Amino acid sequence: MDALLIVFASGLISLFAAFAKKPWLVVGSAMAGLLAAIIVIIGQLQTGKAFFDFLTYEGLAFDQGALLFSLAICVLSLLIIGIGYERFKENPEHTGEYIGLLMFSATGAMIMTAYTDMFMFFLGLEILSIPIYVMAGSNKADVRSSEASLKYFLTGSFATGIFLFGLAWVYGATGTFKLIEIQMKIQEMETLSPILMIGVLLIMASFIFKVGAAPFHFWSPDVYDGAPPAVTGFMASVVKMAAFYAFLKMFSVCFGLGELMDFWNGALVVMIIITLFVGNLSALRQVKFKRLLAYSSITHVGYTLLLFVSQLDFNYSSPILWFYMFSYGFSIVGIIAVAIAVNDSEDRIDGLKGLGKRNPFLAIVGIVSLLSLAGIPPTSGFFAKYVLFSSAWASASWLVIIALINSGISIYYYLKVIVTIASPAEQEQEKIKLSPLTIAVMLVALVGTLGFSFILPLLY
Amino acid sequence: MLLATLFESGVKIEHYMVLATALFVIGVFGVLYRKNAIILLMCIELMLNAVNLLLVAFSTYFGQADGQLFVFFIMVVAAAEATVGLSILVLLYRNTRSTDIRLFNKLKN
Repeated sequence: MDALLIVFASGLISLFAAFAKKPWLVVGSAMAGLLAAIIVIIGQLQTGKAFFDFLTYEGLAFDQGALLFSLAICVLSLLIIGIGYERFKENPEHTGEYIGLLMFSATGAMIMTAYTDMFMFFLGLEILSIPIYVMAGSNKADVRSSEASLKYFLTGSFATGIFLFGLAWVYGATGTFKLIEIQMKIQEMETLSPILMIGVLLIMASFIFKVGAAPFHFWSPDVYDGAPPAVTGFMASVVKMAAFYAFLKMFSVCFGLGELMDFWNGALVVMIIITLFVGNLSALRQVKFKRLLAYSSITHVGYTLLLFVSQLDFNYSSPILWFYMFSYGFSIVGIIAVAIAVNDSEDRIDGLKGLGKRNPFLAIVGIVSLLSLAGIPPTSGFFAKYVLFSSAWASASWLVIIALINSGISIYYYLKVIVTIASPAEQEQEKIKLSPLTIAVMLVALVGTLGFSFILPLLY
Repeated sequence: MLLATLFESGVKIEHYMVLATALFVIGVFGVLYRKNAIILLMCIELMLNAVNLLLVAFSTYFGQADGQLFVFFIMVVAAAEATVGLSILVLLYRNTRSTDIRLFNKLKN
């Protein structure tokens, strides 16, 4: 709860600091707030006790899982603010609004990790989403950015409507909004009422919409392509992380028992298979870098959904999701930082040619992040995939085999980009200079991608 | 005649369920098939209002206030969403001079 308030307050402060017309002040106060939040969360994880004990609310419970995910959200938001800073030095207008919205969105993400009733879930979801609709369109001079914003807004609010309709049916079947009470009511039922089943299906559809899995993935390539790169990074890492954890919590606590679980699991298995193949086969023929990332993120959503069908680790205190999403977030931050530094307006994959000569450090960060996305051994992406697949193996081994085949396909297009980075350019290009802040962010992402796997043994 | 029989038998929870579902489905089909972005926004509002109706009906049926409280939250959020959505539309209208969503196709390959 303290960390939540700190992030919210520093968002407000950075919003007002914008009146001073100094971008470093805005970014500095936001970063200081996030750092303070990280310290508070680590302290609470160590001592098991909040700094301000009296600040509690029954709708929010910061248990260990919520704290771990809040930590990841704060770290990734900090890195994303860091890589977006260069843009504000060139164009200081609207720095305050952008940073403030990002902080409010992070607040919503933290609420989504800690909710215990549907009120808080719904409010967290909207506090997370509404700022991102605006942020996606923050590049006002570019029509493509506004278009991405509209597309994200329409699909996002449509998904919200579907979620609420499903929630209304669940309320009709159980008569309560609290997660624990819904679970008890469902356990008491002798036969599942059709009202409840409709509700669960609708909620699952909205979930699939929000995380961008097939067959409701069509918005994500356009939105990822059109939005400013830093916002794309935020959507791919923080938003996905919060949405996955929130739905894992809802489905494992409320709908994760017996007959009801078998009911929605069947539908989910089909969706996982479609998601994996659609994401991978479309990624094969992309020429634009951010579209490639969008399809790769669809594939990663497919892998992550395996957690929902694994009987072994289908509970919200399992560290697998945290580990997977955190290592994925580090590699996304690394690759987006490279894309921003290259600053290619066409955003073509071929624009990365000769990167090794233009700036060797950038090339290394790019290659390591891509290896981690592909899941090649020394990186944390491999270990994350390994623990995920091995936990799903016991209950759905044939599905894991399909995921492994897709993993093989995906290596092709990641390697294609790596080869492009390593190959020489046709004509001589100027060298890329990096600011100290960008280098620091990239170093953190690099260390995270390479060394994060050492945290894994501590979690078990 | 029909109204009179309805009042005599009393409006049951099932009637609200059917009405809310009908409104919601109209909203969904509107979002899927209409081409004017402002009408899309209105259809999304219709979906949310169908949810409100259903929640209030269930809330009265159970005799508790939770559902009606939720409706207030939905109203607030719907207002915020409409604000953001309309401003995005104004931004796009400046470029295209139209609200037809078929014109917003710069992001295709």
